[in-house]
Amino acid sequence: MSRNTLLWILGTAGTLLATAVAVAWMTVGGDRRILLPGKTADAHHQIELACETCHAAGAFASAKKAEKALNKACRGCHEAELKAAGDSHPPGKFRNPRMAAHWEKLDARLCTACHVEHRPETTRTSAVTVPTDFCVACHSEGERDVRANRPSHAGLAFDTCASSGCHNYHDNQALYADFLVRHADQPWLVPVPVHRLSVQTRTRASRTEAALGRGDAMAPESALRDPAILDAWAASGHATAGENCAACHAPVAAKAAGQSGIEAQWVEAPDTAVCEGCHRWQAKTFAQGRHGMRQHPRVSKPRDPHRRIAALGLGTWLPEAAVAWFTDPAPPRRMTVAETHLPIHAEAAHLSLHCGSCHRPHAVDTEAAAVEACASCHNDSHTQAYFGSPHHALWKAETAGEAEPGTGVSCATCHLEKVERRGNIVANHNQNDLLRPNSKMIRPVCLDCHGLGFSLDALADPRLIARNFRGKPESRVESIAWAVRRAAENPQEEETESRVQSPRRNSP
Amino acid sequence: MNRNLFRRTGVTFCVMAALAGTGSAAGEGVPYRQVADMLYTVMSADREVYTHMVVQRLVEDQQVIAASEHFEDDAALPLPAQMFRFGAERVEEQTEDFSYALLSLWPINKQNGPATGLEREGLERVAENPEENFYGEEELAGQRYFAAVYPDIAVAEACASCHNNHKDSPRTDIEVGDVLGGVVIRIPMP
Repeated sequence: MSRNTLLWILGTAGTLLATAVAVAWMTVGGDRRILLPGKTADAHHQIELACETCHAAGAFASAKKAEKALNKACRGCHEAELKAAGDSHPPGKFRNPRMAAHWEKLDARLCTACHVEHRPETTRTSAVTVPTDFCVACHSEGERDVRANRPSHAGLAFDTCASSGCHNYHDNQALYADFLVRHADQPWLVPVPVHRLSVQTRTRASRTEAALGRGDAMAPESALRDPAILDAWAASGHATAGENCAACHAPVAAKAAGQSGIEAQWVEAPDTAVCEGCHRWQAKTFAQGRHGMRQHPRVSKPRDPHRRIAALGLGTWLPEAAVAWFTDPAPPRRMTVAETHLPIHAEAAHLSLHCGSCHRPHAVDTEAAAVEACASCHNDSHTQAYFGSPHHALWKAETAGEAEPGTGVSCATCHLEKVERRGNIVANHNQNDLLRPNSKMIRPVCLDCHGLGFSLDALADPRLIARNFRGKPESRVESIAWAVRRAAENPQEEETESRVQSPRRNSP
Repeated sequence: MNRNLFRRTGVTFCVMAALAGTGSAAGEGVPYRQVADMLYTVMSADREVYTHMVVQRLVEDQQVIAASEHFEDDAALPLPAQMFRFGAERVEEQTEDFSYALLSLWPINKQNGPATGLEREGLERVAENPEENFYGEEELAGQRYFAAVYPDIAVAEACASCHNNHKDSPRTDIEVGDVLGGVVIRIPMP
């Protein structure tokens, strides 16, 4: 056999083997990192090895089915957020065949028309992969030409619609014309700047009969030796609410009562399942957000190679020696700080993200969780600039007891939305709900203290954001002025409004 | 309750649209035109009920709540046209067997103006002659559709005044009884 022939045989065999291994990794199991077609967008890197989360249609599904499954996966995690945002362009709006002419330009029936994964080179903020002038597809021709319908828009380029603080594709709750007009005359700072929903969370509940003190602590002798722990617990909301040590360290025995049961079942370092037992909604929203998304129920589990082989009709073909090769890597359910793509403090890199990362276990102090916890990991300019900013000064004054509850502005004030649930104000731990576009913050946060005009200007000024709002916005978003002018040119509308509409009740 | 209502209405519509499957062949199934007419009967009946028994009664007669384009912010009732459109969107989430839309030659939202030649022709015909519906066929994205256009009349003073006063409305001379636009129903043909 000539050398060439041998090389041909080896080359062909090698290629076939490599292909077979790649196909096996795709269809059966194994470490697929080498097959990733490109980095995933934003926080999706946390779940990028759980391919089936999005690629749910199976390896040999038709392109149409695969696309359908992808879009279903997007909605699985993001639909609630979009519905809450009153999505201006829900996919359902575009399914009517009368929109067929638009489908070719921008098929808005699909999330993947604008958000294509694994395309780092064309991915912009919010995982958008279409050019910035995408509005041109539907709002630029004939009677639909917005430049013709709005004299103020006559000379505008389409790449400015969604980049200048005026419009968003999905969430326009604080940007629609009538809202702008109603909030047109607000001062930059309202007379009594208080974040209403934060007031209750920062007012210490008064001690009731159920409240426990230092002497009430029930725990094994060895666990009661650290006075700092006892003090922290006695001053915590848990003690105020009557939750003794065993509620977390021996939860089953705590219900039955009795010191002997508590000692027998005592767990030195309880798992977060204990927290989740009581704080279910917080745990649920934590798993929906960027800190806990690996625990989201829709993230696919590592594949079982034996079951995959069986599903392919090969029965129990997989030899035990090959199992390791065809077993999916199982990333820890908790992300470590080092895994983030954001700027972080190196000394925090080894930490993992769970309830106790931000809430000290005995003090369960929401004050520390609202600022210090964030800044112990995040190390970007916005975070650094917070310390010493006007918002920080207000926060220090409030936490020192020198200002009214709700007047301070912490990281959590803006990034962890406060929500009323069953009469309590609780923090939505899915920080993504208010993150991008940042105008999502206007109604639940900014408007409690600031006027709409100032809020729009401030949020459209990236340099001001990097300085954490030290100073004033450098430029002006024109949308309020334009909306007011347009309303003034149509004076009859006032008559209609007053006749048809009642006074506003629930919104700012 | 709303969800159930939508689901029930959707199921009714789907059954009716399915009836049209073999409509083009003589003697088989129900003709497209008849199915479209049946769908329209349900739509217009529901719309009329909402307009008169909910909006008209609570806003005008009993004056307990307002109706507003921004009904969530205003804690008010959705306008009848919005209610109709939400129904159409729900149907589109559930089936491709048929679709419908409320359109106009003088739309407040410009996206609700005619988008195809048939829509324009149909809206013009029903505006000129409200006594007769318009029926036709057209091909969109490679699919043939049976389409029907029904005139939409300003039945109450509130319809006319809103369309005359809204800052985005191209007309200010609408009177009760005028054609405001039309309901377009499409059924895909095999």
